[in-house]
Amino acid sequence: MRFLSALAVVLAFTLATPACGADDASRVTVFAASSLTDVVDDLAERWKVAGGPKVVAVLGGSSHLAAQLRDGAPADAFLAADANLLDGLLSNPAPADLIRGLAYNHLVVAMPSDGPGRNPGDLYDQDLVLVVCARGVPCGDATWTRFDDLPVDSHEPSARAVVTRLDLGEADLGIVYATDVAARPGLVQAWPQDPACPCVAYAAAALTDRGRSFLTFLDTPAARDVLVDHGFAAEPPS
Amino acid sequence: MAILGITVLALPLVGLVQRAPWTSLGDLLGRRSVLESLRVSLTVSLMAAGVVLVLGTPLAWVLARVQVPFRRLVRALVVLPMVLPPVVGGTALLFALGRRGLVGQWLDRWFDVALTFTMAGAVVAAVFVALPFYVVTVEGALRTTGDEMESLAATLGAPPLTVLRRVTLPRLVPAMGAGLALAWARALGEFGATITFAGNLPGRTRTLPLATFQALESDPEAALALSLVLLAVSLAVLVPTRNRWFPTR
Repeated sequence: MRFLSALAVVLAFTLATPACGADDASRVTVFAASSLTDVVDDLAERWKVAGGPKVVAVLGGSSHLAAQLRDGAPADAFLAADANLLDGLLSNPAPADLIRGLAYNHLVVAMPSDGPGRNPGDLYDQDLVLVVCARGVPCGDATWTRFDDLPVDSHEPSARAVVTRLDLGEADLGIVYATDVAARPGLVQAWPQDPACPCVAYAAAALTDRGRSFLTFLDTPAARDVLVDHGFAAEPPS
Repeated sequence: MAILGITVLALPLVGLVQRAPWTSLGDLLGRRSVLESLRVSLTVSLMAAGVVLVLGTPLAWVLARVQVPFRRLVRALVVLPMVLPPVVGGTALLFALGRRGLVGQWLDRWFDVALTFTMAGAVVAAVFVALPFYVVTVEGALRTTGDEMESLAATLGAPPLTVLRRVTLPRLVPAMGAGLALAWARALGEFGATITFAGNLPGRTRTLPLATFQALESDPEAALALSLVLLAVSLAVLVPTRNRWFPTR
């Protein structure tokens, strides 16, 4: 019986404690596209220096995060790799709630840095292991718009998942963001490639007041500098 | 408390069923992509069940009948995949059997065999998570029945193979069937180890759970329909299964 009452007390506490995350006043929960993994930490650091609160970053495929937000996941702000994903989340947003064109990124064909030399024809070589993003996530939609009929070996749920496949040497070629190649020493461009579209335009949305203060920070030159330092473009590649 | 307990387990399923798009179900399930992942799922899970049968039966017998050294450790290893997060299992498989893994690099170099991104890899992932269910079920049955009958048959002059064929196996068949059904159902539902180790390619490694996960992002209706299929299959396997996990009384 004592065990049962102890259990009841624990249960009561668990249920009574408000859901943490978005309700915790000292933190701002930011959902961010997985391709922003490295830059989000630096943005959070810079914001903290500027007097902002602590940022809790939740990273994942943009579409997956958007689906979670539609189902009521508690977030203060959402940085997506596709502005269209924000449409279902914000009804009639105020200008301060939305930044379109936060930064731009483009796709490159990458390979493990210790791999043999490749050329553009290798993209269609059936014997090589080629990994790309799945349709429905922004990097995948861009990939499939630009290339079709690729002999793909796996459709990964996010850009970062493709990066990992290359980093571990499981794939010979992968289509990732230019920023991923810049960030990971284990990856190189498979051959010289000029920036080309379709590109990815990141957009930011504020879902709460605290999220709005984060967006205000994102609009500052300091935040833009962080993005550019990580290889993101301030303007779409022409 | 018991009612609360069953509610915790049943409520999500009720939620799933009440949101099901019953009217368009036939249409959703008739799609080529759905049929394709159904085919992959059935192929992978049946092949996994075959491997489980071949590898699991001797393993269960050894665990039940032979005094193996470090038996507790061996048993813990056998049961481990049941509690290990499948994504950890998939990561482990990647570092063991991946192209640059411990064993995988030699498979690749000597035999030109790659498991990652292949259906064989999906089978390996399914076997990894499903094998314990079979071994535990069959080992339990072997322990419960004891070895008196075998000793008796041997005393009466039956050679070991005859004992195995005429005494041990016939009494083990119900448990083997039950264990196999459980293992097959677990293989059919496998997600984490599969996507981590074998990747996600329609027609090759995209099983029903992977298709469900992907559909959830773009087409929740289709995800619901796929979930219903998996739920129905799992129930169809579990309800008629009788063994020590499901004592009938």
